[in-house]
Amino acid sequence: MSSTMSRRRALLKIVGAGGAITGGAVTSTAAEEHPAHPVAPPDAVSMFYDNTICTGCKACMVACSEANGLPPDTSLGEGLWHTPLDLDSKTKNIIKLYQEPGGEGFAYVKRQCMHCLDPACVTGCPFGALKKNQWGAVTWESSLCIGCRYCEVACPFDVPKFQWDKWNPKIVKCEFCFDQRLKQNQQPACTAVCPTGAVIFGKRSDLLAQAKERITASPGKYFENRVYGEHEAGGTQVLYLSSVAFEKIGLPKLGSTSVGHYATKVTSVIYKWLSAPIVAAVLLGSIIKRNWNRHEAERPERERQTGLRDQL
Amino acid sequence: MSAHDTTGSTLVNHWQRGVPVYLEPVVTPTLLFFAALAGLGLVLAMVRLFSPLGPFSGMNDAYAWGVWKTFNVMTLTALGSGPLAVGMAAWVFNRQKLHVVMRTALISGFLFYATGLVALGFDVGRPWNFWNILLPWRWNAESAMLEIAVCMPLYCAVFLAFENVPMVLERFYYTGSDATKAFLVRWAPRLRRLYPFVITGAYVLPLMHQSSLGGLLLLAGNKIHPLWQTPFLPLLYLLAAGLCGLGFVTFLLLMACLRYSRALDLDVLGELGNLLSWACFLFLAVQFGDLIRRGQLRTAFALDKMSLLFLFETALILVPAVALRSRTVRVTPRSLLNMAALACLGGLFYRFVPTTIAYAPARNAVYFPALPELLMTVGYIALGIVGFALAVKYFAVLPGDIADWNYMFKLVRPSRQAPGSEGETPWPASLSTR
Repeated sequence: MSSTMSRRRALLKIVGAGGAITGGAVTSTAAEEHPAHPVAPPDAVSMFYDNTICTGCKACMVACSEANGLPPDTSLGEGLWHTPLDLDSKTKNIIKLYQEPGGEGFAYVKRQCMHCLDPACVTGCPFGALKKNQWGAVTWESSLCIGCRYCEVACPFDVPKFQWDKWNPKIVKCEFCFDQRLKQNQQPACTAVCPTGAVIFGKRSDLLAQAKERITASPGKYFENRVYGEHEAGGTQVLYLSSVAFEKIGLPKLGSTSVGHYATKVTSVIYKWLSAPIVAAVLLGSIIKRNWNRHEAERPERERQTGLRDQL
Repeated sequence: MSAHDTTGSTLVNHWQRGVPVYLEPVVTPTLLFFAALAGLGLVLAMVRLFSPLGPFSGMNDAYAWGVWKTFNVMTLTALGSGPLAVGMAAWVFNRQKLHVVMRTALISGFLFYATGLVALGFDVGRPWNFWNILLPWRWNAESAMLEIAVCMPLYCAVFLAFENVPMVLERFYYTGSDATKAFLVRWAPRLRRLYPFVITGAYVLPLMHQSSLGGLLLLAGNKIHPLWQTPFLPLLYLLAAGLCGLGFVTFLLLMACLRYSRALDLDVLGELGNLLSWACFLFLAVQFGDLIRRGQLRTAFALDKMSLLFLFETALILVPAVALRSRTVRVTPRSLLNMAALACLGGLFYRFVPTTIAYAPARNAVYFPALPELLMTVGYIALGIVGFALAVKYFAVLPGDIADWNYMFKLVRPSRQAPGSEGETPWPASLSTR
């Protein structure tokens, strides 16, 4: 009797420990819930770009490549000039020019990672190679990345790039100069070098207020009198003011709900404590066990009749 | 047990147990052809080990997933869901007569999953970091990709493999030495004791990862056309796996029996057709219920490119759903084969389209698989075909009746006295070596 009791107790202990481990694994991240409209933490840093100030000098592109040790993309520049067409595996930051068809109007846009408040890439990344780091910078850790490229599928801004031409490929995207500069109490290379102040660095709350002040100061100057990035995809840590429509300069029209919220609102309930799989296992298991027992009870008679062993 | 012949048709033959294909050469020109394709694919896979993904595939930053993921894994494992669909019908919903076709489902399902996982292994860019899977505290538990990365290999390598073990052991039992026999007889009861628990896992795990394959696409948000992008994607992917699983087992049984001149049991096949029809209806009910819920019904009938594609895909599922309600259609091998093929095609379309045709990344970009990429995709499929062709000859996979089984063993005895006809009759041949 005592031996069976101790065995039972031991079993319970094992099950309890296993449950704690799996539960821990599940809830450690499930605790970071995905509200539909995430609120920026007070220490969230930001980049604020106003394309009415940008002169398209591309100093930020050079500074970015220098700070991140990126090779120039010379595929179009006769082997001499850094002339990327878009963000690519050699370009984390780019200034692009939009020209109104047939018209005089034009506008610049600076593209780089938006550092979403609730990034879809981080939600999808299987081993957490991409993570929301200190101050909200979205960074990439090479030792955790298996190269599945789910981040590229998930990102609504088409930002992460993959080194298709490398045997040891990396995910290339703006990381807010996290290791290179933020950690040393320096602002990112692009904002530091910008000669006109078209892109500036600061706390997200401060920069958002500043952007709204500019809108109030000159109503009608900016498209829709609103800040792109305040609410897009749940809000981003890069903010934009533009003289032309955001879609025209390549900033996609997105809802205000975080993509991570949309993708996990059902599964986070189903997989909480692995509840649905456990319920399914118990339910299916009990039915299967009943049917199995009947199968086994009928087996000797069946084997005797046919003279053949039962097949599974 | 099922010894009642109601139709009196000459086609009716009561499937009672798996019987190996015998009196057929193992190596045929067709087999060699597929083996060559598989070999080419595997050689290219070896080259891929030393080559970056770029020149090898047509993938790019806008279409970061190519056919290895979207077709070999996300689409073809639906066809490989026979063990889930037929298994649940047999063991959970107690459709007893389906037990006899389980082995066909199991071996084909295993081959689809195994080749899909091989495809995945060569698709990821940094496979050496996959060992992180062993450290659960590094798991991002909310990632559908993680769920698939854990669940799919575990299912294929442990649960599905275990389900396939009995047919391999059975061969050892009939071909092995007395010591092997005694060993197997001693161990069989222990395996049997595990069996109900293993098959429970073998149904829970694919319920999880087949839905997660649809769950993957949720994060792609509005890159996927609203006819396909819905919070119901996981459920619809799972239901598509169910209908593809039932459809493909039906299709495969008919094709294999045709190829190896095996008599059909239309009672069993009719039951599969019946379940397939309901699976199609269930899928369509959820799909259209969801369209109505999201107010996208008008989009479905807008008759533009995407709407026509959607309606075509729906028709591929609706036609077999309706047609298979007729008993005549279900027990006519030709029409059953056609309807099963249509249902499979519809299910495959549903699983493939949101990842490719209905997937519109932010930038203008095109993706078409590069030649080596395509050859690898074809190679994996050919590998599965070779595996199945060998399995039906070496193991008791395809269903037949007991007379068939006994006749095969009658053939064994003469060949024991006169060896030399090896390779023609697998089991008798191997028995003769004893």
